[in-house]
Amino acid sequence: MSEVIVVTSGKGGVGKSTTTANLGVGLAMRGKKVVLIDTDTGLRNLDLLLGLENRIMYDLIDVVDGRVEIKKALVRHKKYENLQLLPTSQVKDKSAVNPADLMALCDELRKEYDFVIIDCPAGIEQGFQTAIAGADTAIVVTMPEVSAVRDADKIIGELGRSEKDNIKLIINRIRPAMVDSGEMMDMDDINDILAIKCIGQVPDDIKVVTSANRGEPVVGDGDSQAGKAYENIVGRLLGEDIPFMEFEKEGFFKKLMKAFKLSKD
Amino acid sequence: MSRDLVTIKGGKDGFRLLVDSSASMEEIEAEIKKKLNENPGFFPEGTKFELEVADLDRSVKKGIGQILSQHGLGVEMSAKKEPPPAPAEKSQMPPQYVIQHGGNVEAQEMTVVEHTVRGGEEITSQGSVLIMGNINPGAQIIAGGSIDVRGTCRGMVHAGAWGDTSAVVIADRLMPTQIRIANMIARSPDIMEKSDFAERASIKDGQIIIEPIER
Repeated sequence: MSEVIVVTSGKGGVGKSTTTANLGVGLAMRGKKVVLIDTDTGLRNLDLLLGLENRIMYDLIDVVDGRVEIKKALVRHKKYENLQLLPTSQVKDKSAVNPADLMALCDELRKEYDFVIIDCPAGIEQGFQTAIAGADTAIVVTMPEVSAVRDADKIIGELGRSEKDNIKLIINRIRPAMVDSGEMMDMDDINDILAIKCIGQVPDDIKVVTSANRGEPVVGDGDSQAGKAYENIVGRLLGEDIPFMEFEKEGFFKKLMKAFKLSKD
Repeated sequence: MSRDLVTIKGGKDGFRLLVDSSASMEEIEAEIKKKLNENPGFFPEGTKFELEVADLDRSVKKGIGQILSQHGLGVEMSAKKEPPPAPAEKSQMPPQYVIQHGGNVEAQEMTVVEHTVRGGEEITSQGSVLIMGNINPGAQIIAGGSIDVRGTCRGMVHAGAWGDTSAVVIADRLMPTQIRIANMIARSPDIMEKSDFAERASIKDGQIIIEPIER
């Protein structure tokens, strides 16, 4: 049974592509056959996060226009054979693909892959409408920030109007220390407003940035809090019941340990 | 200045029509027509007036009914024979939860929304609105009558949008960005407190007040 998932958020910069890349790699690590589709035509960057830019030959537009077969355009991941990327064009714009094209594409890919994950562009215009067209499930990514939550709310409304009722939430870039001190919206407030099933709480982690620069998603990294959080989300997508993790805080004890460790090195 | 022969009062439960029983039918008819023509469209079609029938002649009552029906309005006879209780007495009564329809239950439509109203959505209704869910920030509810939220109200709500000052807004947790009733606007405090009980916003003494209610 295969599933088509769209990762969306409304607001930009909350971590849609990062989430897509991490879920893709995470599911592939579990042995699933996964294809990632970048629909952010003109502003593609999912290939960068996966470190696959130099391997791109054809793109989504070529497939949609019928210049090449899907198989030819898919880029295989370096490490995980069962993970493929369908990149988009950096020169065309969103009008080059329409919802019907993507729907047909998803139905084609569905036959062969366990998971089709679509990276949606920011906004609620044509690009968004195209990206969600073929999806069974939507994952809304938000941040503990009023504007991100407001936009997520709007997106959930839009998804509802497009009859996408299976919607899940990931709260990204949480700073536990700030939540504790009351400077950041807490998870209960966000869940209260958005009122959809939350499948992940990912802390803000510098490793996400450094790993993105290297083109290796953080999900395999056991030392990273965000990596663990993404692994948990992957588990939950596969139907496992995993409790939300407690975030480690940079408390006094932790700092002391760090200082101790440093002095030893 | 002589006392008005006909007075229309916007009460808590809708409009009340007070008629001077000493006036003749012709005088009353002229006065009602004048009042209605002063503000055409103020009373939505189907609005019913409660008629104080203390000592009115039956033919006069019938006449008033006919005049109002010509204007697409209706009339209800007040059940109580005694004069209405003084406002002071009323305020002593325990706060009760009643959806106020402006006294015209059957004439007014009631919009029931059975989901959370999310940011960017707008719900407009000529009558009252019942929301079985939350109203999220960025959402708008505009109702000719009252608004009842069985959840948390964080958006903008406008009750009595066409001038019904008796309209109210009720919510389990009332923390909207703005409350508008008729032509009055109340803005939320910049730092919002979470309320633990249901509240009702209504117009009292020329301003919007919010009071806790039980339900």
